[in-house]
Amino acid sequence: MLMTIVRGVLRQARRHPVYVGLDLLGLALGIGVFLSLALLVRYEYSFNAGLPGVGRLVRVDEHWTPAGVVPLEEADATFHALPFLRQDFPEIEEALRLLGTTFRIERDGKFTRFDGYATDTSFFRVFGIGLSRGVADDALSRPDGLVLSEKAAMKAFGTLDVLGRRVELNRSGERSAHVVTGVMRPVRGPNLLANTEMVVPIPGEEERTRSCFQYWGSSCGEVILRLKKPEDIDAMRARMRDFVIRHASGAENDHVAIGPHPEKMYQLLLVPLRQTHFYDVNVEDSDDGVDRNVVNAIGLIGFLALVLACANTVNLATARAGLRAREVAVRKTLGATRRLLFVQFMGEALFVTTIAGVVGLVLCEILTPEIASLTGEAVTVSYGFVLAVLLVVIVLSGLASGFHPAAVLSGYRPAAVLAAARMPSGGRGAARLRNSLVAGQFAIAIAIIICTLVIDRQTAFMRNADRGYEKSGLLIGQQMRGSDPVLQRRLLDTLRSVPGVVAVGFGELEPAPHSLSHTIYQYAGPNGPVEIQMLFDRVGSGYFEVYRPRLLAGRWFDPMRGQDEGPDAGNLQDGTGSFNVVVNAKATVKLGFSTPGQAVGQVLTAGGLKARIIGVIDDVRFVSPRDPVGPEILFFDTLSRVPFVNPIPAVRFQGVTRAVMAERLNRAWTSVTPDLASNFQPADERMAAFFTGDERRGHIFTVGAVVALLIACMGLYSLAAFSAIRRVHEIGIRKTLGASGGQIAILLLRDFLRPVALACVLACPVAWVLMRSWLSGFDQRVSLSPLHFLIATAGAFLIATLTVLGQTFRVARAEPARALRAQ
Amino acid sequence: MLISLSHIQRLYRSDEVETTALLDIELGIEAGEFVAIMGPSGCGKSTLLNILGTIDRPTGGSYSFGGQELTELGEAALAAFRRENLGYVFQSFNLIDELTIEENIELALIYRRMPKAERRRRVAHAMDHVGIAHRARHYPSQLSGGQQQRAAIARAIVGEPRLILADEPTGNLDTENGAQVMDILQRLNDEGATIVMVTHSPSHADLAKRRVDMLDGQVVISVRNAI
Repeated sequence: MLMTIVRGVLRQARRHPVYVGLDLLGLALGIGVFLSLALLVRYEYSFNAGLPGVGRLVRVDEHWTPAGVVPLEEADATFHALPFLRQDFPEIEEALRLLGTTFRIERDGKFTRFDGYATDTSFFRVFGIGLSRGVADDALSRPDGLVLSEKAAMKAFGTLDVLGRRVELNRSGERSAHVVTGVMRPVRGPNLLANTEMVVPIPGEEERTRSCFQYWGSSCGEVILRLKKPEDIDAMRARMRDFVIRHASGAENDHVAIGPHPEKMYQLLLVPLRQTHFYDVNVEDSDDGVDRNVVNAIGLIGFLALVLACANTVNLATARAGLRAREVAVRKTLGATRRLLFVQFMGEALFVTTIAGVVGLVLCEILTPEIASLTGEAVTVSYGFVLAVLLVVIVLSGLASGFHPAAVLSGYRPAAVLAAARMPSGGRGAARLRNSLVAGQFAIAIAIIICTLVIDRQTAFMRNADRGYEKSGLLIGQQMRGSDPVLQRRLLDTLRSVPGVVAVGFGELEPAPHSLSHTIYQYAGPNGPVEIQMLFDRVGSGYFEVYRPRLLAGRWFDPMRGQDEGPDAGNLQDGTGSFNVVVNAKATVKLGFSTPGQAVGQVLTAGGLKARIIGVIDDVRFVSPRDPVGPEILFFDTLSRVPFVNPIPAVRFQGVTRAVMAERLNRAWTSVTPDLASNFQPADERMAAFFTGDERRGHIFTVGAVVALLIACMGLYSLAAFSAIRRVHEIGIRKTLGASGGQIAILLLRDFLRPVALACVLACPVAWVLMRSWLSGFDQRVSLSPLHFLIATAGAFLIATLTVLGQTFRVARAEPARALRAQ
Repeated sequence: MLISLSHIQRLYRSDEVETTALLDIELGIEAGEFVAIMGPSGCGKSTLLNILGTIDRPTGGSYSFGGQELTELGEAALAAFRRENLGYVFQSFNLIDELTIEENIELALIYRRMPKAERRRRVAHAMDHVGIAHRARHYPSQLSGGQQQRAAIARAIVGEPRLILADEPTGNLDTENGAQVMDILQRLNDEGATIVMVTHSPSHADLAKRRVDMLDGQVVISVRNAI
C-alpha cells in the first residue's frame, strides 16, 4: 500500500507538476510560518518560566487611586515596606530589593555599558540562580562584591576565570571599587534577568539617603518575594489592605506615611512573576510588558497561515479529483473497495503533507532568525518543540486536507464516470465549496492587510504626531545626578558656548521620563472645591526657547519677576510659600475652566503652598502614546536660589547637522562631568521604546499579510487553472454563438474574482472591529480611515486579477472548433 | 449565391504528421437551400461544417458568404459575423450546464447587445417554435436528449440567422426524437432558413433538398433530392 501511495503521488507530480508544486509550496509555506510564529508565541508565553520555583515568586506592585486621576499601577514598590512585609507575613520565605541600574567600566576614556541590579544577598536564593565561579551565599555579602554574568565576564575580561579581579564601576557618575566575587550561570528561557550583566550589593549610603528606602509611596525599584507555597499568594492578598492601613497610615504632616487613610488611594498588589510579561503592558516602570492580545493575534496569524494552506490543498485536491475520476472508476471495476481507495487517497494526502512538513521545517529555520530580528526577541529554533509540533501538524493537516478529497474521490460511481464524456466536476456543491474556500482565504488575507495598514499608519503617526513641542533642532542630554548648583551652572554655560547652540534649558522631566512626581492641588472653584493630582516639573531659563511649547493663554516665566521663582525643597516639604506657575491645557480642563484664559490668575493650593497660574501651555507629551497626558504644573527655577534635582539639559540648535551637534555637545559635557557618560539624543530616540514594540509586531503582521496573500493567490491560481480546463468547452460554445475574446475574458475575470469580492465583504467588518479595539488602547491615535479598507481591497483585486489574467487570456483565446472537441 | 467555397483546404500539422482533412473543396449554396452532407467517419464533414461556421479556419482557398470574403477577417470580425449570421446545432447539444434552458437560448442574443425586452420576446417565440416553453426554467441535465436538442435548435434560430449549421443533430437521439428534430428543421427551411446539415442517416439526408457526399476530404457527389 505504501508503494502504491508513493507511486500515486509521483505520478500526479509528473502529470500535473503545477498543481502538485503549488500544493506543496503553499502547504510548506503555511507550515513554515506556523512553526516560526509558534516559536515566537511560545517564547512570549514562557517568560520567566525557566526561573526555578517561579510559581512561588511574586512582585509587589503599588497601585494608586487618588481622586481626580486615572488609576496607576507601578511595578516598583517602596523598599520601606520590606521589613514590615517580612514581619507580618510568615508565608514569605525570602525577599529582595532590585534596584535596576546601568554600570559603566571606563577604559582609555571610553565607557563600556553593563546592565544590572543593586540588590540583596538573597538574590541568588530567591531566583535559584547558580554560580559557575564563586559561592552564591557569599558573593554579595561584602559591600564591594560584584557578580558578573558569563557573557559580561567575557565582555569585560575575555575569560570566565575572573574571581578576585578588581574593577572600578561608574554608576551614573559615581565611581566605586569592586572585587569580582562570582560569575553566574544563565537562566534558561526568556526572563526578567536575561539582560542582567552585573549584580552588586545595594550601597549603604543609598539606603540611608534615598527616599524610596525611607518613605511610603516613594519607589525606585522592585520588591520580589519568594513564598513558601504558591497558594500562599491568595492568603497574603486578603491581608494586604490591613497591612497598608497598619503601616502606611499617619498624620497629614507625617512624611514617612501616606496619610490618615492610605487604603483609599494606595494598595500593594502581589503579581506572580510568571504573569508579569503580559500583566506589565499596563504597568508603569516595567520593562517587559507585552500585549497578550497582540501575541495571541500573532499566534492566530500563524494558525491562519496553516489553515489557508490546508484550504488550498483541499481546493486543489477536490478540483483535481475530476481528473482522477477515470482512475478511480477503473480501480473500482477491477475490484478496489471504497474503503481501500479512501485509505489510498488519505495516505497520499499524508505523504504530500509530510514532504511539505520537511520543506516547512527548512523554511522555519530560515524564517525564525528573520522573525527574531524583526521582533527583537531572542527566539531560536527549539528542535524538541518544533519536531513535536510538526508531527501533530503533519497528521492534522494531512487528515484535514485529505479527508474531503478522499471521500469525494473514493465515492465516484464507476459506471457513470466511464459512460460520461466529460470529467465529473463534483457539481454545484463542490464548486461552491471551492469558491467558499478561496473567498475564505482572501477574506483572511484582506483582513490581515487592513490590520497591517492600520498598524503601520498608527506607528508612523506615533512617531510623527504633534507632541506639543518642536522636535526638530532639539537634542536632549543625560540626566545629571545630584543637586550641585555650581556644576549645573557650569554645564549650562559650557553647553551655551558650543557653536550652533541657540538655547539651553534644564527641566526635571524629559521625553520618556525617568520618574514622575505627582502632587495633589486644590482649587476653590465657583462650583465648589476641585482637587486634582498634577504632574510636577521644574523648568529653567531657556526651557521655553528650547522646547518651544505652545502658549495658549497668559505668559511664560520671566527671570526678572521674583514671584516666578519656584519653591525650594523646604517649601515643598513644609507646604509653604506663594509662587507663580504655568499649567497645561489638560489641567485647566480638569480644574473646570472652559477656556485656558479663565485659568490665568487663579490660585491652586497644596497645603500651605499657593500656586498662582500665570500661563497655560498646550499639552506636552513626554509619555507613551498609549497613556493619556495628565494635568501638569510647572515651576520656574533660575538657579539663583534653588538647584535642580537630577536635571536633564536640553539644547536647541541650528546651522549644523544633528550628528555633528550631538558630537560637540557630548564633548562639552565630558569637559564638565567626565565621570558621567554623555548621550545627547533627539526626542524620538528617547521615546523609541514606546513605538518599537508596536512597530516590530507590525512587521510580523506584514509577514503574515504577505504569506496569507501569497497562499490565497496560489489557491485562486489553482482554481482558475482548474476552472479554465473545465470551461474550455463552454467557452467554445459561447464563441460559436458569437462571443468575442474580450467578452469571454470579462466573463471569466468576473467569475474568478467573485470569491475575492465576497472576501472583501467578509473581511472589512472583521478588520474594522479588530482595529477599533486595538486603536482604543492608544490615547494618541489615528482614526480608522475608509482609505485603509479601499487600499486593501483594491490591492487584493489587483493581485487576484494579475494571478488569473494568464489563465483568462489563455482560455479566452481558445479556438472554438478545438474547444468544442475538448472533453 | 449565399455561400461560395473555392479550393478550400484544411491541413492539420503536428510535429511529425500532416493530415489533410479537406482537399480542394468547391461548393456553392443558395439562400433557402437545405443541404445534407454525408460520408464515412473521418471524411471531413464536421471540418467542413466548422469552416462554414467560421469556428475553424481553412489553410487554403476562399470562403465567401453573401459576397463577403471571410478568410481575410480577424477573430473579432469573425465573432461578429457568427453573432449576426449563423445558428449552430450540435450532435451533443452543447448547452451550458450551469445555465437554464431560457438562459442558454438567450445567450446568442446577449452577445448581440440586444435590449432585454426584445431578447425575452424572441426567446419565448423560439421556445414556442420548437415546443419546449414549458421547460424554460429547467437546467439541461433535467431534460431528455430530444428536449435538449430542441432547446439547441431554439438557440440556433433565436437570432434569425441567415444560415443554420447542424452537425449530426439526430446522432444522439432515438428514432422518434430524431424524426421530431428533422420535422423542425424542415419546417424552418420551409419558412426560408438556409440549412447545412451533417448526418450519417441516409433517410434524414433524403429529407434535405440537396445531398453532398464526401470521401477523404473531397466532395464526390452533389445531387438534388426529388421532393
